Amino acid sequence: MKKLRENPLLLSAVIAIVALVASFWLLANPRSTLPFLLTLGALLAALLQPIPKWLKILIGGAILLLVIPAAGFKNSFLFELGIQTGIYAAMALGLNVVVGLAGLLDLGYAAFFAVGAYTWAIFGSPQANEFMPWKIFPLPGEYFYLFMLIAVVVAAITGVVIGSPALRLKGDYLAIVTLGLGEVVRVLANNLDQPINITNGPQGITPIQRPPIDWFIALLEKFGLQLSRAEAYPLFFYLLVLVIIGIVTLVNIRLDRSRFGRAWIAIREDETAARAMGIPLFPTKLLAFATGASFSGAMGALFAAKQLYVSPESFTLIQSIMILVMVILGGMGSIPGAILGAATVTILNVDLLKSASDYLNNLRNAGFTLDLGFFKYNFANLPNQLEPAKYERMVFGLIMILMMIYRPEGIIPERRHVLEMKKEEA
Amino acid sequence: MLEILIQLLPSVLLEGLILGFVYAMIALGYTMVYGVLELINFAHSEIFMAGAVAGAETFILLKGAIANPFLLLALALLIGGTVAAVVAILVERLAYRPLRKRGTTNRLVPLITAIGVSFFLQDLVRLIEGLWHNAFYRRYPSFAVFEATYNLPNWIGVLVIALTVWVGFWVLAYFGDWLLRRFAKRAPAKGRTLSWVAAGLTLVFLVLYRHVVFTDLGMTIQMKSILVIVVSLAMLYGLNWLVHKTKLGIAIRAVAQDAQTASLMGIDPDVIVSRTFLIGGFLGGVAGVLFGLLYTLVHPYVGFIPGIKAFTAAVLGGIGNITGAAVGGLVLGMLEMLGGTYLTFLTNGAMGTEYKDILAFMILIFILLFRPQGIIGQQLGEKV
Amino acid sequence: MSEAPILEVEHVTKTFGGLVAVNDVSLKIPRRMIFAVIGPNGAGKTTFFNLLTGIYKPDKGKILFDGEEITGKDPAWIAARGMARTFQNIRLFGSMTAVENVMVARHVHTKTSYADALLRTPRFHREEKKALERSMELLEYMQLSHRAHELAKNLPYGEQRRLEIARALALEPKLLLLDEPAAGMNPQETEDLQERIVGIRNDLGVTILLIEHDMQLVMSISERIAVLDYGSKILEGTPEEVQNDPRVIEAYLGRGAAEGASS
Repeated sequence: MKKLRENPLLLSAVIAIVALVASFWLLANPRSTLPFLLTLGALLAALLQPIPKWLKILIGGAILLLVIPAAGFKNSFLFELGIQTGIYAAMALGLNVVVGLAGLLDLGYAAFFAVGAYTWAIFGSPQANEFMPWKIFPLPGEYFYLFMLIAVVVAAITGVVIGSPALRLKGDYLAIVTLGLGEVVRVLANNLDQPINITNGPQGITPIQRPPIDWFIALLEKFGLQLSRAEAYPLFFYLLVLVIIGIVTLVNIRLDRSRFGRAWIAIREDETAARAMGIPLFPTKLLAFATGASFSGAMGALFAAKQLYVSPESFTLIQSIMILVMVILGGMGSIPGAILGAATVTILNVDLLKSASDYLNNLRNAGFTLDLGFFKYNFANLPNQLEPAKYERMVFGLIMILMMIYRPEGIIPERRHVLEMKKEEA
Repeated sequence: MLEILIQLLPSVLLEGLILGFVYAMIALGYTMVYGVLELINFAHSEIFMAGAVAGAETFILLKGAIANPFLLLALALLIGGTVAAVVAILVERLAYRPLRKRGTTNRLVPLITAIGVSFFLQDLVRLIEGLWHNAFYRRYPSFAVFEATYNLPNWIGVLVIALTVWVGFWVLAYFGDWLLRRFAKRAPAKGRTLSWVAAGLTLVFLVLYRHVVFTDLGMTIQMKSILVIVVSLAMLYGLNWLVHKTKLGIAIRAVAQDAQTASLMGIDPDVIVSRTFLIGGFLGGVAGVLFGLLYTLVHPYVGFIPGIKAFTAAVLGGIGNITGAAVGGLVLGMLEMLGGTYLTFLTNGAMGTEYKDILAFMILIFILLFRPQGIIGQQLGEKV
Repeated sequence: MSEAPILEVEHVTKTFGGLVAVNDVSLKIPRRMIFAVIGPNGAGKTTFFNLLTGIYKPDKGKILFDGEEITGKDPAWIAARGMARTFQNIRLFGSMTAVENVMVARHVHTKTSYADALLRTPRFHREEKKALERSMELLEYMQLSHRAHELAKNLPYGEQRRLEIARALALEPKLLLLDEPAAGMNPQETEDLQERIVGIRNDLGVTILLIEHDMQLVMSISERIAVLDYGSKILEGTPEEVQNDPRVIEAYLGRGAAEGASS
């Protein structure tokens, strides 16, 4: 393995070949999990391994913009998967700033997602008519883009509001308080249908407007693709998500390599020393918190527009913990790590666990009996409560425990980059 | 309007007290572990849950074999407590100890592990229940003798009202005095003076509302509530004896103060930590069985909210302080009942029952911001 | 011409629970002096530093830094005003490189706004370049250039101590507090450190306040020494005065030794 890494030409060749093979396999079998995972693996290898930049762009671009969409047309589930992964990746990058860089354990991150989602949900649907004097709602779909920016601001403000009491506390207490405040936001979403109906309570809000894409369909026609609206929307959101992840990653990198990123890491490493070096503790923490919150807010708005329906059920503690697991698994403080973590957990949750469920169900229905001589088990007897898809808490819990004991720095540990100046000197 | 609120008061406070005892016992687990390890054991809520579920299984399985419900309860308490204690020890041994041995200075790592354990245990219990019974909601069977209701003499209710009103006026007097001091630069009034002022105002209050206060308040209590109080008091008394009168108790307090010196005195901190988890776990398990007795329905996720509330109670009383945990539990239970009942009442149902859960979080934030050492507790500082 | 003292400490007291850690201590430190605080272990020296830098708030007393009252102010605020320190137990940012550690301390002197960082404005590039250059200069000054891009936690002990000093200097302090800078150093390293400290005062005009146990170091470079014992200042004077005073000897070695020395 090491030898491969030392020989860039060989490595490039291997990755390129694997990418090619995986792509064709996936296009031939768009519904199969295995070729999809292999393609994804090739993508990650291409992006993370030391191969020439042009090749990274080529392979990365080809897989993300050609292969996956093409396979997606035959199996729209892939688009769904891609969009979900993207949304979570952006949120993982946001939480990465809070937990990974600044070392602040936030267990209520889903609250900002909720705030962003409801911001568009309320005004992009008839809901706002309940409490607003002018009956002009829902706002037409074009307003979505504006509201994404508004969601960023609203989420950042929420971050400041939640952070102001919480960030004055020590690590353990901060965790529990953010957990509590996250729950408060969920309870508010669930209960603010009286006395004025703002959130419509447990029923949620629907239908929500989405941005019009006639211009997009026209554009595709120029490329020779004839798609109906129903077919085009998944592709549109998929590409939109890719663009947003690009922006979020860029923002992350830029903040990381600035005095703010350095200040956050200093606080994470040693608060007392950081203060002694002139870093104002509370404002800096608040800045990290608000920054992380704003990413989540933006994705919330996108989520609302894509799902067309929001309810308090989408913003529970499990969501917050899931994003935390993504950051931990991928690597605290590491940008590629956050994206990898998001991809892994989403696929685990949405694809693998569900497949395992289906697999066990099939075994049960077939009355398959496992006969190992000393051990016999008839799968028909398998209780139907035993669905792996429902055991996500166990999986997350196990990941958290094992990662902390065996590899706390994550799969892709944070690597302190060599400063750009050095290259100029050399 | 005020009359109805006053009439409700004794019953609400009594219910709050009963709930408070359950919280107190869970809080003890949090506070003891924090005392020796300075770690918030997030998984403690699941230890509580394990006890509750184990108790349920005991009741359900042995219901046919044992006729006497009290004996059944005693057995359930024993088994529930033991199962919880075992889980607690395993968690410490398998999840927390490897991290302690590694000596990580990063505060996030043990915290994240604790959360992971919490989640893992929730679904583990679900898995076990799923395999065993193909269901994960378990119900405590009800017994007529436990449900039996007893009338309480009226004077108890009157006394409770008088005491609450007295406390209320005392707090107001204290606050008024503080304001006067702040803006008029006077010397602080003596505690005695405030007490007499409050007592006087209470008397006035009772006279003004005598027709409410002295009507039949109709206070009742169920046998199961009495059992909760009795068992809790027994446990608290037992713990107090353990901590102050036995060698183990002294060792625990020593390790909580200074583990290094304790080890120099021949105490093995690891053993003590294990024993602490055992005791805290047993209490949590007993609390779980009592919870099941009161609310009948238990499931793998039943520990989450009471866990947070009990942690709030521990902080309210003073984290690391055993008396504080007990006091905090009782106070929180009563505050929750008061808030829950009166808020719904006053807002005509606009603020539903979920808001009482928020109340506990608000109290937690309030305490951590304005009096982090809690009602009783001491502060632990960082050596620079 | 007499300038105002850089540091004026007036009757500062700090109590923890029942223990009086710092008891009615007063000092005046003129600019550009090398001033040492010595005393047996537990005398309250580090607590005193912590009071000066704002980590603890004094129960009684006043502290004036460069004419401004700083009693009980936030540590970051005080650091930004020009008081830097090193720590008794090294507190570097382990997972950052040496140069990054120093750049952290350039935080108050790097005039980049959040927007600048996001948009990568020319001002951002200018300020980052300045910060990097200044940091490399400081590493050079402390003879750590060869370690610039190594993780701080991987440096040998002596270099970690020097890195802490380089980092503190990045604040462009008027007053530098060194808490046992020579701890764990061999005689050669100590001598180098000695030169370096005097150099910092001479080259950069920084006033130095030093806690140290190494008497050879203290006596060679200090111009004035204060002695603390059980939280109180028992003596202040020149090295010669302090060396021969029986109270000092008694504080360190006990009463019998003091009687032996004065005869």
